[in-house]
Amino acid sequence: MTSQRRFWLRYGSAAVAAGLVFALRFTLHHYFEDRTFTVIYVPVVVFAAFAGGRGPAIFATILCLGISAHFLGDSLFTNPANLIDVSFFAVLGPIIGEIGNRLLQESEDASYRQAQLQSVLDTVPEAMVVIDERGLMRSFSATAERLFGWSAAEVIGKNVSVLMPAPYRQEHDGYLNRYRTTGERRIIGIGRIVVGERKDGSTFPMELAVGEAKVGKDRFFTGFVRDLTEHRSQERRMQELQSELVHVSRLTAMGEMASSLAHELNQPLSAITSYLRGAATLLKAEQVDKSRIREALDRSADQALRAGDIIKRLREFVAKGETEQSIENPATLLEEAAALALVGAREQGVRVSLRCNRDLPDIVVDKIQIQQVALNLIRNAIEAMETAVRRELTIEVVRKDSFAFFSVADTGTGIAPEIAQHLFQPFVTSKANGMGVGLSICRTIIEAHGGRINARANDGGGTVFEFTLPFAEPEAAHDR
Amino acid sequence: MTDKTVIHVIDDDAAMRDSLAFLLDVNGFQPQVYESADAFLGAADRAALDCVISDIRMPGLNGIELVRKLKGEGSSCPVILITGHGDVALAVEAMKAGAVDFIEKPFDDAALLGAIRSALDALPDNRTGSSAKNEAEARLAELSPRERDVLQGLVAGKINKVIAHDLSISPRTVEVYRANLMAKTGARSMSELMRIALAAGL
Repeated sequence: MTSQRRFWLRYGSAAVAAGLVFALRFTLHHYFEDRTFTVIYVPVVVFAAFAGGRGPAIFATILCLGISAHFLGDSLFTNPANLIDVSFFAVLGPIIGEIGNRLLQESEDASYRQAQLQSVLDTVPEAMVVIDERGLMRSFSATAERLFGWSAAEVIGKNVSVLMPAPYRQEHDGYLNRYRTTGERRIIGIGRIVVGERKDGSTFPMELAVGEAKVGKDRFFTGFVRDLTEHRSQERRMQELQSELVHVSRLTAMGEMASSLAHELNQPLSAITSYLRGAATLLKAEQVDKSRIREALDRSADQALRAGDIIKRLREFVAKGETEQSIENPATLLEEAAALALVGAREQGVRVSLRCNRDLPDIVVDKIQIQQVALNLIRNAIEAMETAVRRELTIEVVRKDSFAFFSVADTGTGIAPEIAQHLFQPFVTSKANGMGVGLSICRTIIEAHGGRINARANDGGGTVFEFTLPFAEPEAAHDR
Repeated sequence: MTDKTVIHVIDDDAAMRDSLAFLLDVNGFQPQVYESADAFLGAADRAALDCVISDIRMPGLNGIELVRKLKGEGSSCPVILITGHGDVALAVEAMKAGAVDFIEKPFDDAALLGAIRSALDALPDNRTGSSAKNEAEARLAELSPRERDVLQGLVAGKINKVIAHDLSISPRTVEVYRANLMAKTGARSMSELMRIALAAGL
């Protein structure tokens, strides 16, 4: 509507109302004659004020004054009562106009705010349900309609418990009662994950946040509901992808170690061959030396087991298992990882010292993943010392407050400052053919276990990588 | 016991040492074991060595460095190198350094004992003498010019792709030539082929 048309509509309706009252006054003139009777003009002004605001109200007042003057004629001035009456009306008119204008403004503001609020409520991803003190639903947002499958018309006035599965459905009124009587907050202002029920009877996990509002004596509760079904499945997908990546990086690590592992397997295989061929040679002699043959066979069996051990560890490591948390001893965990990671280290002239405090409390971890981190750090350390003269590798685990504190220290080339800053970011590498994902995966794993990982320069040259993992149970006894 | 030939075995792996010593012992040799090249150099009387069997990858002095050191001192003692990392480049390096043989783990006793016996047999005369050279040349006689080119590339320690590029042929063809080389020379392993090629002065 254009502003000009509105102008004419506002003032026109005021003029029409004045016209009507003129007609009324004219028909009643026979009874009133020269009395003022300004009361009949009040509805005109009120109407004009509500319909058009201040301007039309004043306009209507002027028109009514004119009508009044027309009918009264000279008596307006000759009769003082009439003059007083009309003067009062002349003052009252603008006042009514002002009041009407205020009300109009406020109702416009209110409807504007209402529309704004409604648009917000319609677009927020959370569903909103407002209930009163008795648990009856007063408002049911569009998202709530989609989420629960009920339409607002169907549920407004019904008890909110229809949105919950048993046993909450039966108990919800009790919760409200308890809150009314004790004021104890179990969910209001706290929020928690609960189960909702749709119209079709299916249930779903949802996050519920409840706010409280008091309007006069009435109390309202506003519940915001977020559907966690999708959220959960996304989270699961992320975890799957991550474990996939972790597994791939484990395979890569093993691929890089393949040559060392082949060598490690060749040792026992060579030894077995020599023992068995030697034993076969002994059997050809006329006087068979049984004890020597038995000894050779025993030793070759030991070597076969040694080869088997290497393969078993390798298979465990590359196995694509579900991530599984188990209670582990930090020292055992580290020793096992080191055994695999140190394959071939000795041939490279690396002096290894493994210091494990066996009396540490247990940690709850995905064993393979933590071993992957340790293996990664140890292999990196060995690689860093390839060109170094002093090759000392120190691997240890000790207690540091409520954490198991692991460290892998080398005397290698150290880390260039420009790499150091981005060390744990993906695709940052100093290796000629590295992908630069190893350390970023290490960080992902350690942080997922509630620990931290960092690197610092070793005092005597080289680098120290440290990571922490929290002990299974915070030892309150120590703090007391 | 003194009439037995002393074989010096150097390996950092205890099981390897023990099993080799056992194998040599039952075959009539007198094994003497060391866990590193440095230990061997410190303990053995280097003037009177019969034969040395050494691992290549070891802490401290490695097998190839040991061969170079012994040859540098003018020792004529034959050294047989064994390794778990058999590759052509390493074999060539070992042979060039002066090792009499290069054996990959795990090995058959026949291969090792054969290598020891031929090393001991060759001991009195100069192994690079005309007979060894003639024999090696005889085994290479049947090779076509292209096969010789490929063999030269291998002796130079080049990988298939590089040889293929140098000769302007495909890597697949190089593989075929390599298979022909093994068949025509009767070499059972890449290291044996390298030994023949080096003996023939390629």
